[in-house]
Amino acid sequence: MKLLSSFKKELILASRSFYFYIEVIFSLVILAILLFAVPEEISTTSTQYVYLNLPKEVKEIYTDTMLESVPGIEPEEVELEADGKTYDAQLIATDEEEFYIVDSEEAVRNLAYSEQVIGAVIELDDSNQLYCRYYLQGYESTRLKNLLSILFNENMGVLEERIENQEVVSLTTDYEPLNDRENTLPPLVAFSSCLMGMFIMASYIFLDKNEGVIKAYAVTASPIWQYLMSKIFVVLVTSVVSGLIIVMPIMRFRINYGLFLLLLLSTGFFASSLGLLIASFYNNLAKAFGAIYFLIILLMVPAIAYFIPGWDPFWIKIIPTYPLMQGFKEIILPKGDIAYPLIASAGFLAGGIIVFAITNIRFKKTLSV
Amino acid sequence: MAMIKVEGLYHSYLRNGRYAIKDVNFEIAKGEIFGFLGPSGAGKSTTQGILTGLLQLQKGNVTVAGYNIKNISRKMFNKIGMSFEQSNVYSKMTAKENLYFYSRLFDVKTRDPIELINLVGLSGKENIKTGEFSKGMKHRLTFARSMINNPSMWFLDEPTTGLDPAIAADIKDIIKERNRKGVTVFLTTHNMFIADELCDRVGFIVDGEIKLIDSPKNLKLQYGKKLVDVECIQNGKLKKETFSTIKQEDKDALRKIIAEKEIRTMHTKEATLEEIFIKVTGRGLV
Repeated sequence: MKLLSSFKKELILASRSFYFYIEVIFSLVILAILLFAVPEEISTTSTQYVYLNLPKEVKEIYTDTMLESVPGIEPEEVELEADGKTYDAQLIATDEEEFYIVDSEEAVRNLAYSEQVIGAVIELDDSNQLYCRYYLQGYESTRLKNLLSILFNENMGVLEERIENQEVVSLTTDYEPLNDRENTLPPLVAFSSCLMGMFIMASYIFLDKNEGVIKAYAVTASPIWQYLMSKIFVVLVTSVVSGLIIVMPIMRFRINYGLFLLLLLSTGFFASSLGLLIASFYNNLAKAFGAIYFLIILLMVPAIAYFIPGWDPFWIKIIPTYPLMQGFKEIILPKGDIAYPLIASAGFLAGGIIVFAITNIRFKKTLSV
Repeated sequence: MAMIKVEGLYHSYLRNGRYAIKDVNFEIAKGEIFGFLGPSGAGKSTTQGILTGLLQLQKGNVTVAGYNIKNISRKMFNKIGMSFEQSNVYSKMTAKENLYFYSRLFDVKTRDPIELINLVGLSGKENIKTGEFSKGMKHRLTFARSMINNPSMWFLDEPTTGLDPAIAADIKDIIKERNRKGVTVFLTTHNMFIADELCDRVGFIVDGEIKLIDSPKNLKLQYGKKLVDVECIQNGKLKKETFSTIKQEDKDALRKIIAEKEIRTMHTKEATLEEIFIKVTGRGLV
């Protein structure tokens, strides 16, 4: 009864404070970005500008060979603009590449500069061998420069043979990848619903500390843990609302929402307990800002590992946001591992209970007159 | 029966042996109004904080309303009420919502929030958010909230601070009325006039130590000058004289003047509590 009253009170306060609306608006902004700015499949088409500084016959052979490698593609006459000048060009476009053959080295240089892509001039050397000069932007890595010199100026036949003879064995055959938009959901849900929850929880406590109402609560017959838990309930409600705002329009009814809510609530409980613990050490948000900022940065590090699967050191895996993001990913994957989010939820629940117990003791000990 | 019993109470905020209060001992009987007087930083709030469970008991024995503070029970708070010096109400909630919420946090029958709001002179303000209240209005609401659970042990920290005289008089009347109904009051203040008017006994605390505990009446008798100032008309002129209330010749002279002369004013030279405090502690109250 007391807990319910505290929860109702917190709902009233949340509805009259701007933090609740900040989180909802933040979620709507994320949704808008996902729907209107992030494509389902991010384009990987590369653009190249090439000038064939070759005798006419060689030039024709080179162009014919190139067109033979992309059957069904016809070159298109286009006009390009760079640095206020117009250049004629032939466009050979495939799904992966837009290849412009221009008619001067000046055009290559200006187009590479204005479009910030690589330009190339293909020529014959003294022994009538093809070689390539590149116009780079200046910030390319040595690795890329080396690769470019190998790609054209070394024996292409050897490279091609090796690539063709490479055997690719897939470790999982029952795997359906997410599209790019869906793939960005786990870190966004983790940060908007859970980490924001931690920050908002700390903010709620500092508001109460500022008004002195914790002391008033402490001299009632209701235990402090109920005061803290009622705040967690409100943060969980906000987390669920913001999580669903982001996920539902994109995933619709293709995921297990029971599992999603379970993970969202358990991680929300853990994150808001963490927010409470931080708030127990400080009197106001300004003083706590350093600690909160450090924690948010630390908790964001696993996002790097999420987007760079090759970088996955052990220590990253013990940062709570790692299992959090992986758990969400397993939920939205068409054939995701159900056990992972279940185990992660249990872990977050257990961790949250421990942090909450410590926080409760700290709040009782740190009340002041 | 003692409503509050404090024995050998010490408290150090930094737990480094520098005590905010040291060796504090006192008892408060049921139905008594006890004034805890001292300047800022004397240890009043620290003592009250320990008695109300806001500060952890470090050293000493304390019982409040029959409950040992060492192992504090939430049930104790059904019996106690606390009015804070600094108003602490939810500014985003109305006066009624504030009191209604707190009324749900006790296991005992609570008072009607509207009745309490009216009692402290906030009639018609019940549906206004307290963020729009003046400092005095918030203070009155904080005071009203302390009565929500009908406490038998009532802690009041500067209950009339910042209130205009008329409202302060109303607050004092409420305290007296509650006390008549058997409520024990622990009044923390540096206002000697309210202490003098309300308290059965007062304790002077300075630098964390209790210097003296007694009733205001006894203190005045003990520390006041035993003199009477008289203004009378003699030969058509106003004459001022001072008489001892102990010396026989002065008592006879006073009787004669009362019988024969036209008395304009007559005052006993009682010491005020503030004067006694300064005399006892060597310190002012601010």
